[in-house]
Amino acid sequence: MNLGTRGALTFRLGDYCFAVRVEEAGGVLDADRLAQLPGVCDPLAGVAAFRGEMVPVVNLAQYLGIESPSIQGRGYALVLTRGPDRFALLVPEIPKLIPGRDLREAPRANTDSELGDLFESVLENDTDQFHCLNYWRIFETIIPPAGASAGRNASTERGN
Amino acid sequence: MPGTNFSTNRGSGAPPAAVLITVGAAVCAGIAGALATGLLATLAIGAVALGGAFFVSRASASRPNGNDILRVRRMLLLVDRGGTAEVKLPPEFTEDWAELFTKVNKVVYESKNNPSSSSQLEQFRKQAELAADLLREGKDPLVESPELRAGPLLPLLEGVKGSSSLPVVSQLRLGEEEELIGAGGDSLPPDWPKPDRMDVASMEGGLQELIREIESLRGTLSGGANGMSPSASDDAALRTPAQLVDAVVLTAADGIEDLAAGLMRANELASVAERVTNRATLLALNAALEATRSGSEAFAAIAEETRRLAEFAREATDTIARLSSEIEYKVGETITAIHATSEDAKTSLAELGGTQPVTSSARTARVQVIRLLDQSRGLLQSLGVQGSPAREAVSFRGRTPEGPIPSPEDNVENVSPPADKSHAEGMLLIEGLKPGANLES
Repeated sequence: MNLGTRGALTFRLGDYCFAVRVEEAGGVLDADRLAQLPGVCDPLAGVAAFRGEMVPVVNLAQYLGIESPSIQGRGYALVLTRGPDRFALLVPEIPKLIPGRDLREAPRANTDSELGDLFESVLENDTDQFHCLNYWRIFETIIPPAGASAGRNASTERGN
Repeated sequence: MPGTNFSTNRGSGAPPAAVLITVGAAVCAGIAGALATGLLATLAIGAVALGGAFFVSRASASRPNGNDILRVRRMLLLVDRGGTAEVKLPPEFTEDWAELFTKVNKVVYESKNNPSSSSQLEQFRKQAELAADLLREGKDPLVESPELRAGPLLPLLEGVKGSSSLPVVSQLRLGEEEELIGAGGDSLPPDWPKPDRMDVASMEGGLQELIREIESLRGTLSGGANGMSPSASDDAALRTPAQLVDAVVLTAADGIEDLAAGLMRANELASVAERVTNRATLLALNAALEATRSGSEAFAAIAEETRRLAEFAREATDTIARLSSEIEYKVGETITAIHATSEDAKTSLAELGGTQPVTSSARTARVQVIRLLDQSRGLLQSLGVQGSPAREAVSFRGRTPEGPIPSPEDNVENVSPPADKSHAEGMLLIEGLKPGANLES
């Protein structure tokens, strides 16, 4: 089965396992130097430096309402890229890279209906099922696209 | 001792002298009779000889305690000399006196090697030395030394002075006397001033004073139970078993504290190693991610090696963390065991009366003193002073005079266990903390 991916970075939040396709992932960094910003909404954990740029870090567990106590004070930031835009997901453990050959797409019946529009697909291997979410939609609900577009436009103008 | 009658020993040297004189007088009478060739002269000379023998016998019978005086004086010289490791018993000391001589020698000898045997014995020894010096110089110790007039030897010296009607030194064999005082024949003490008669009461008083002195020494060895506390220097030298246990625990605690400091440092290094491992793991993950995205075989090989390196570092870090946790747990167990053992030892020592300062030699000296007291009481009974006020005065505190005289074993029954054993047990605790020791137990 062609999954359209070479692999996926997987991590666990509470009782759920999630996956990020390697094509969307920009890298993983230690979140010990996460800088918190004042006056921001709760799911935005702060900003972190990634390859010379500041990227916003979203606490996915807090956004989804999943209890994950070990994420406080120690965690990792999984950076997602889409063109020039980047943001990171705060995860409690180092993500695992599972090659695409070990993954297959799960039947739709096994998907979690609670995830609603955020749900994109489900991947599975011999032991676990991994929820692939539309992480950019989550990010845009936290930081409106207009702001992101404005920032992108400003960046484009500086590049010109 | 009950049933022992020393009166049978008194004047035991007199009959041989009387017999010799009688025989000599008879021989002289025979010779004179032969020379005078007259029956009347022979009878007269024989009567004079028999009369002389009679008076000599009376004179000998009037000093029944000559051997006692000798023994007391020898005892003083023994105290003055300080005792010996091997006891060579003089022939005059038999039965109870022999045992008393042995005990005094042992106590005095141990007091030389044991500072805890107290300033009391030292004071007693100094006074005895002074008295012996004065005796050697032919002076009266009670006249020459005011200290002796107020000291514990006063009754004894009075008794010796009052009973010194005999030429004491001349009755000793020369070799024994030289050995006893450690001098040649020229330094033998002169004769003691001769009083009129033997003062048995003074002898008893002296012996009772000696018993009081020994009782005082016993109190000192018992840790000041009678109000006499050891001096500060003695406090430094003496340690109760509880203090010994505390010292062992303190030593063990110091060692464990060092061990804990080392563990803390090791934990810090383990934390650094864990951070390095995490960075290596992140590096491996990012390399694998880039290799997956790019599809490069070369990049994938490098990423795989990086992953193996990170995995190896992870295993090493986990091993270090596990060992550190085990050591911390065992150190905690050891500390708990040491404290529990310490408390048990203190409780046991308290139950056994171990709060008294006892060292091995001090305990031995204490036992000897108690036995010496019993021997002295036996001597007092032999001198016929049972039931007298003096007898009650020397009885054990808290015990009725009518009660049975306690044996030495009774008095030492409740003393604390041997300090050597406590020390050995304490050393076992320390041995358990040495590197390579089995901490599993």
